[in-house]
Amino acid sequence: MNPEVTSDGPEQLVEHFFRHESAKLIAVLARAFGVRHLDLIEDKTQEALITAMETWGRHGIPSNPSGWIYRVARNRVLDVLRREKIHQRAMAWTQGNEQYIVSLADQWIADDQVPDSLLRMMFVCCHPVLDRRSQIALTLKILCGFSLSEIARGLLISNEAAKKRVQRAKKALAEEQIKPELPPADELQQRLSAVQEVLYLMFNEGYSATQGHEPLRDDICEEAARLCHLLCGHESFGTPETKALLALMLAHSARLGARVDSEGATILLADQDRSLWDRGLVRAADDWLERSKTDHPSRFHYEAAIALTHCFAPTLEQTRWDRIVFFYDRLLQLHPSPLYRLNRAIARAESGDVDQALEELESLRGRQDMSSYFLLSCALGRLHELRDDSRKAVDAYTAALSGALAEHERALLERRISQLRGAQTDGRSFDATEELK
Amino acid sequence: MAKFMFLHRSGGPCAFEQSPEEMQQAMQAMGRWMEDGLKAGWLLDTGDGLKADGKVVHADNTVTDGPFAESKELVGGYCMVEAADLEGAVELAKAMPQTGGAIEVRELAGHSMD
Repeated sequence: MNPEVTSDGPEQLVEHFFRHESAKLIAVLARAFGVRHLDLIEDKTQEALITAMETWGRHGIPSNPSGWIYRVARNRVLDVLRREKIHQRAMAWTQGNEQYIVSLADQWIADDQVPDSLLRMMFVCCHPVLDRRSQIALTLKILCGFSLSEIARGLLISNEAAKKRVQRAKKALAEEQIKPELPPADELQQRLSAVQEVLYLMFNEGYSATQGHEPLRDDICEEAARLCHLLCGHESFGTPETKALLALMLAHSARLGARVDSEGATILLADQDRSLWDRGLVRAADDWLERSKTDHPSRFHYEAAIALTHCFAPTLEQTRWDRIVFFYDRLLQLHPSPLYRLNRAIARAESGDVDQALEELESLRGRQDMSSYFLLSCALGRLHELRDDSRKAVDAYTAALSGALAEHERALLERRISQLRGAQTDGRSFDATEELK
Repeated sequence: MAKFMFLHRSGGPCAFEQSPEEMQQAMQAMGRWMEDGLKAGWLLDTGDGLKADGKVVHADNTVTDGPFAESKELVGGYCMVEAADLEGAVELAKAMPQTGGAIEVRELAGHSMD
């Protein structure tokens, strides 16, 4: 038996240890041996984890589990490179000898060097030669240790589609000979924006409401926040926008636990038990937003501020809707999205200005870029509810039902319609756009 | 009481579809199974895993690389348990966390006993 092995049971491992270990190993080994060996490195990392699984389950956890897995993975990669005699070429490419490369990797695996390798991989996975969907899939695969079937489950796509996205991404990286380098100063802003965008979209994928409780989707949110936190810790990448993005993620994460009932059905903002919101995360979000202060706030700043305003409201009625309207005004100056206008209209209506809100919604109707008529109809329904016009509200919700809907969306609407038809309104509100965007 | 050897036959390539998260969970479940067995006394030896490559020594002492069995039949590990009978041993094997393979339950013949 390995003398390193202690009597610690496998329970001692921290949560998600294998997942994060996988990301770390791939990042460090790909940096050392080259992104073109990504497939090999992923395979050998997987094998090292399988070996750990089989050994540790029997004999307990070694005293340095990270180092143990790293050595297994590193040696197996070296074995293959030597055996396949592609070694010479690999070495020529990195302009060093084997010993040098191994010593670099050994040095990088030391804890204080790992974030740097992970950041490099983040810029590889979010490289502009890849399309957005491939960037997200590859980030989940490489930096979050997700399997293809987990990616498929998390992104609500088929296994085949997940596989295609990841393969397409790897092929593009190989063809373009992308290196695990941090972006040069003149590209920094643009490349960083791409990483922020990918993390933002990744978080939204995990956060968007679905029928049934799928813990993997919460994991996607957690991973996006983890990677964003990593960016925040870097002197060049921890910009005010990055910090605001983290604040945004944390503020939304605070409400994750209150969004699904025991049967897995979605609970809308208005009906959530606010005592279930994670106060620690709210405080952390507030703290990061404070640290993100800048003279030029980004959309992440305003979106975070809106999410936090909800977090701080003791009830739906006591929400500072005036502030939310103000933040949407600013967002619209930065980015004139019809979805922001729709949300601003709802906030306006909630603050009492229903007529102006109705006008705004009417003006959105028939616009080419108002892609989601479903959301528009839901918003109209809500506005009519606020005017105590339950017949028009039912009409609007019924119109929303005519579109192509996910099952949980249909269920929510049908439930609301029957409530309205039944005992008039019961005072509960229905802010569908908040949860279904 | 009788002694049994559990031979773990690997699940073949499908084992590689496992995600790190699932592996960690499988390993922790395996650890609990082993711990329970050691405490209760029915686990005689936690055994070990077996490396995939080896040599095969034939009757005429020729040596070949191997075993090269179908990967899904390859014995990847073993452990020793004690149970009242084969049925009891099978129940213990059922409780053992699986990682996509199969467990072969074989009673020791006792030939080596005094």
